[in-house]
Amino acid sequence: MARGAMAGRLTRRMSVLALGLWAAGAVASAQDGAAANSSAPRLLAFGVEGLASVSTDDDAYFNYSSYGQSATRLLRLRVDASLRIGERAAVLAEGRMDNGDGASLSALYLRVRPLADRPLDIQAGRIPPVFGAFARRAYGADNPLIGQPLAYQYLTSLRSDSLPASADDLLLMKGQGAASYYPIGTPTWDTGLPLVASDRWDTGIQARWAAERVTVAAAVSQGTLSNPRVRDDNSGKQVSARVEIRPLLGLVLGASAARGDYVTSAARAALPLEARDRSHAQRAFGADAEFSRGYWLLRAEGVWSRWSVPTVRKPFLTSPLGAWGVFLEARRKIRPGLFAATRVDHLGFSRVTAYGTSLTWDAPVSRVELGAGFSVRRNLLLKAAVQQNWRSGAAYSEKIAAAQALFWY
Amino acid sequence: MGRVLLGLTVSALPVMALAPAAAPPAKLLVAGGGAIRGRVEFLREERPSPRRPAIADLGMPAAHETPDDRVAVVYLESAPRGAFEERPGPSVVLDQRNETFVPHVLAVTTGTTVQFLNSDKTYHNVFSLSKPKRFDLGRYPTGRSKSVRFDRAGIVRVFCEIHSHMSAFILVFAHRHFAVTGARGEYRIEGLPPGTYTVAVWHPVLAAKTRTVRVEEGGDLELDFELT
Repeated sequence: MARGAMAGRLTRRMSVLALGLWAAGAVASAQDGAAANSSAPRLLAFGVEGLASVSTDDDAYFNYSSYGQSATRLLRLRVDASLRIGERAAVLAEGRMDNGDGASLSALYLRVRPLADRPLDIQAGRIPPVFGAFARRAYGADNPLIGQPLAYQYLTSLRSDSLPASADDLLLMKGQGAASYYPIGTPTWDTGLPLVASDRWDTGIQARWAAERVTVAAAVSQGTLSNPRVRDDNSGKQVSARVEIRPLLGLVLGASAARGDYVTSAARAALPLEARDRSHAQRAFGADAEFSRGYWLLRAEGVWSRWSVPTVRKPFLTSPLGAWGVFLEARRKIRPGLFAATRVDHLGFSRVTAYGTSLTWDAPVSRVELGAGFSVRRNLLLKAAVQQNWRSGAAYSEKIAAAQALFWY
Repeated sequence: MGRVLLGLTVSALPVMALAPAAAPPAKLLVAGGGAIRGRVEFLREERPSPRRPAIADLGMPAAHETPDDRVAVVYLESAPRGAFEERPGPSVVLDQRNETFVPHVLAVTTGTTVQFLNSDKTYHNVFSLSKPKRFDLGRYPTGRSKSVRFDRAGIVRVFCEIHSHMSAFILVFAHRHFAVTGARGEYRIEGLPPGTYTVAVWHPVLAAKTRTVRVEEGGDLELDFELT
């Protein structure tokens, strides 16, 4: 019975996805036709992507993201649109529907080039992230595997709206980022924070200056890397910046930094008076590299994050909580339309002292993912992958097999 | 005889798929042979589809040239005997310049080697998943070129893996009776023995058209097309 109900739900969701793809395609075709009959410059452009991922059970929530959903079990329809306003401005938007749960606007911003002869661009609204490289690989085909890097997806036990009173409280939630709970702030179980949330974009304003070999970008936004927001929840702003250089053809090197207050006003209000006025920020640094030549594409990225966490009773957290995620990714084309890929990934945590001993504040995680992709058509990609995940060294491990179909136009 | 009959059985572009491979690339003028010439008029302005919105970019995408879509290919659906004689294939260049394939439409005979030159300062990665020829040249830098020999007739759509707005069409014919239109839509197909032919015009977007004509000994036949 339960299996039948699940199958029915899946069928309904697949139907919704198919209907959405059809509708979006019809809109795009109609727009194409209209533009073709006009001599005016084309103002409107669409992109549509449908993605379906299935996997074996992920009982330990290794692939669950900040939305409480798994990258390996996902039905996603996204429609991107850009409306050009004159030669130097455009409005860009993205609508998204995940698992048939209703549509949301995941991006909406204005892009302006204020000076015609200067490579300076300003973007304002719900904007793409400045920090790092992976989060701007917006389309599914940009990710050669099915899982996402741990630094951009894995949920730590830390929360922005619920705070541990002591180091003991924090350690009690070790390894439970999929649902954690602390005594200060929101008194409910909820998902923890990733180092960087790649599925959601922040709201604010950014500027980018791009030259032939160097690109510099900076942004001021409402949320933080781990908790991007549409509406501010703590009166603090995040400042982030990135420098990218291209010293050789095929080589891109990037460095990023960000700082923003992450504790919500409601959680801060629950703190004792002396702790409320202190700044409780997430600070992060990132470094990334991409090298490509011939049939090879290599990427490496590291993210180091620190959160200052207020505690109100012993044992206190005497220093900010640190976490670092590092991954190395390789893709090799084997023959036309067919590639193989792998990613080796690790997420580590700093140590805190509690119970008279020194322990990492969350459980370290490692992952190796191997996969392959085959393009049936230029815009229809099938991927298959296997993951081996480890938590706390070899204390807990899980193997996951996943498949993904991706269609776009 | 069999080769000619194969060419006679089909309509539109499938003639290219059914005809034999390794046909002669060089012109083979028939003594006293006729020609078909004319103009293709584009009554509807057609522009390439806009690139997919660069939603994750931090600024305006780099400017690039838009390909000239006022180009069509006129060809014979059925070719005369002798048109399929085997000759060594020539070599032609398809350039990648300002993130655009130049030319946007290329017509060649089977056995032709196409050199994909990269004239940009960035990497390109030419590939095709079309049935007549699947290939992937990988990423290669400025000034370098990689070549592909086309041995099967048909339409080959070519893309760049890095720049999704780049595309080109290579039409591979098993015979030599075709012409790519010029700047004013003009074309000329020469060396035709007297006979009745079906002439087709192909465009990347606009609907194809065919006309059946009779070519007389030594005569120039004028045949215009209007594409809408």
